[in-house]
Amino acid sequence: MTTMTRRTFIHWAGAGAVAAHTVSIADVVRAAKVNPPSAGSQILVVVTLYGGNDGLNTVIPYNDAVYHAMRGTMAYREDQVFLLGESLGLNNSMAGFKTFWDNKQLAIVRGVGYPNPDRSHFSSMAIWQTASRTPSRTGWLGRWLETQPADPFRAIGLGSTLPPLLVGERRSGTALPLSGFRLPTGALATDVSRLAMTTPEDNVLKAAAARSIRDLFTVAGTVTPVLKNDAPPAADLPTAVGGNAGGDSNLSAQLNAVAKLIAVGAPTRVWSVSLGGFDTHANEQGVQSRLLGALSTSITTFMSQMRSLGRQKDVTVLVYSEFGRRVRANASDGTDHGTSGPVFLIGERINGGFFGEQPSLNQLKDDDLPVTVDFRSVYASILEDVLATSSRDILNGWTTKLPLVAPAG
Amino acid sequence: MLAKGFSRSASEVLALSPPIYGDVKLQLGITDLGPQPRPNTEAVVPYADAKRNQLRAMSLWWLDQMVLQDFPLHERMTWFWHGHWATSYTKVDEPLVMFDHIERLRKHSLGNFTTMCQELVTDAALMMWLDGQLNTAKSPNENFARELLELFTLGVNRYSESDVKEVARVLSGWKVEKHSGVVARNLRQSYLNPTTVLGTTALFDAVSLARFLSQQPSSQRFIAERLWFRFVSSSVALPSGSGIESGFAGREILQAMKNMLMSKEFADPAHAMVKSPLEWMVGVLRALRITPSTYVQPDELLKSLTVMGQRHFFPPNVGGWASDEAWLTAASAQLRIRTAQKLCSYGDLSPVTAVAQASRLDALADWLGVAQWSKRTREVLNGAITDPKRLVALSLVCPEYVVNS
Repeated sequence: MTTMTRRTFIHWAGAGAVAAHTVSIADVVRAAKVNPPSAGSQILVVVTLYGGNDGLNTVIPYNDAVYHAMRGTMAYREDQVFLLGESLGLNNSMAGFKTFWDNKQLAIVRGVGYPNPDRSHFSSMAIWQTASRTPSRTGWLGRWLETQPADPFRAIGLGSTLPPLLVGERRSGTALPLSGFRLPTGALATDVSRLAMTTPEDNVLKAAAARSIRDLFTVAGTVTPVLKNDAPPAADLPTAVGGNAGGDSNLSAQLNAVAKLIAVGAPTRVWSVSLGGFDTHANEQGVQSRLLGALSTSITTFMSQMRSLGRQKDVTVLVYSEFGRRVRANASDGTDHGTSGPVFLIGERINGGFFGEQPSLNQLKDDDLPVTVDFRSVYASILEDVLATSSRDILNGWTTKLPLVAPAG
Repeated sequence: MLAKGFSRSASEVLALSPPIYGDVKLQLGITDLGPQPRPNTEAVVPYADAKRNQLRAMSLWWLDQMVLQDFPLHERMTWFWHGHWATSYTKVDEPLVMFDHIERLRKHSLGNFTTMCQELVTDAALMMWLDGQLNTAKSPNENFARELLELFTLGVNRYSESDVKEVARVLSGWKVEKHSGVVARNLRQSYLNPTTVLGTTALFDAVSLARFLSQQPSSQRFIAERLWFRFVSSSVALPSGSGIESGFAGREILQAMKNMLMSKEFADPAHAMVKSPLEWMVGVLRALRITPSTYVQPDELLKSLTVMGQRHFFPPNVGGWASDEAWLTAASAQLRIRTAQKLCSYGDLSPVTAVAQASRLDALADWLGVAQWSKRTREVLNGAITDPKRLVALSLVCPEYVVNS
């Protein structure tokens, strides 16, 4: 196992810069010096559930007659859920989340969405990721990144393409494939690294193409050896945990990579991971509980790894999806695109409990749930209380927040 | 100057006529594999092998066509429509049905959009992809209806929620035989009364609805927008009064493309676009005269496309592939470098090796369709001028080649 400390992490980033000597990454090195990560640096892990998770079968109004009437065989009864109070129950595949709940480390924000919900996956996901009703090229965390020192490690998305939420105007997050990086060698490597220098002749996209090469050299030398490390132990979990997840999921592999990088002191403040498959128009129950089980198990393991690293107070996990689903089931034992849904926040600094009003099933509009909390209130809380950044500029003037996060310290 | 994507000049492109293909399915052995055998029976292994082999054969064949066809616009447009109707093998899971889907797109790739819609609305792969076969009059499944309006014909917010529900009724009752892709309508599960779509009440069926939708003014605008988005700019909106839109008045795709290729916006270097991974790879293979199916490691090509996030037959979701910045990551840079390096030690470098060193940079620019090298890139390339393999590999990964402008 490669042993790396926080210092060598920065040094390796610098070593990459030296090898690629004409590459203009002095800013990266400077950033690491000016703003070194400290043990108390707050870390945000964003988990995007793609496809539109059925919120009503995640946080379940098991006693509601309207729910049972409209969901029919797809409805869960009281004895099939983990009771949360207020006549709501958690999907029974989410045992790990129930433990967070009991330990007051899980906040469930109910009825989250935005006015005049858009039922298109793409429009809705774009609204969530850009935090803008009109098309925007930048994501909400990309705009946060603009307020930070330039550093390709500052925000990292797991996967080979960059999620829109990490795209900024002048700098964007780094996409990190699970397989890691392998640098070119020999004369080609030296030449390629010189192509990474941006020039005034570059337009925006050519400059971004040059930066992608620069990031490759900077990140590769540092990250690749770390991904070969053993994952940090999840010491306080019984070995049986994970049995209900139906095997490994890609999300757990993504979070494992994040845990390894946090273990060696990555100066990364924002991580983006994702789990797809929530577009359950047919045969929803089995599919959704498998996915929610994978979600719950992988985050439980991840938080346990954070405890064994002593970083449990520094990490907050946000889980959201682009919309909830229609209250009335369709004939294929599935549900069509809907409106609001619950958002989850997990961490030791989180004020556990319910936030926002549960959307009433007696006030449905075209079989759809009302929106009771604007999603920007969740983002504002995270920007202000986790990332210690003013939300006003990033969220286009939006400042309303919820008491989701306890003060640090 | 050069047709963006698979390189060729605009006038050259338009002077050519579409290729004539023989019986490709027979030639490749794409057949109906019958119903899936029961788990844990002996038949499972040969069935799974046959599926994998058929998918591989048709993947390499299509890549061959993109690389080898003299008339690249035809396959370039088949590829465009594949991203538009964005149906993935992951859910269809039948090589024959997926092949037939792309064949339909190929047949109309430069033809009439209304005819294309009328055929696609009962396409087996598309139906399986969007749960069309589960949509019944009694209990609608809106998946296909919504995407037909939003992503295939009109564009988002150009219809109401009530239109979605009415369109789901019109499309109800269709059934698909999975392995053969044969579709039929079960009238007992179909909604057979008049419906009201976009304010017009009529006794619509799937085909007349597809015609009606494709003839809407918003559809003329929408398809012009999509062509603009994929060929001209993903950051600037289609200007009103564009020749692309007026050229699409009769829903003739070729006319819209002609107007686009001849427009000043298309030639304007201010409109830059990133070559997506497949477009980049096809461009490289064309330049180096490498035939994918006879390349020394054909599966490596398919694997690289998968890892870069853009494998044909596998769009990531119903919205199709990403564009521009999404492809400019450290991960994709790494794959471009590795792939370029490998392919340059195999391909034909004669356009560079045949000329004197002093002329090599100009020859490279002409060959690869790069308008101008920056000072940075010129310096790097000059440093490799005596080593054609390294020289060409560097030119294929430099910002000027990765970004069209």
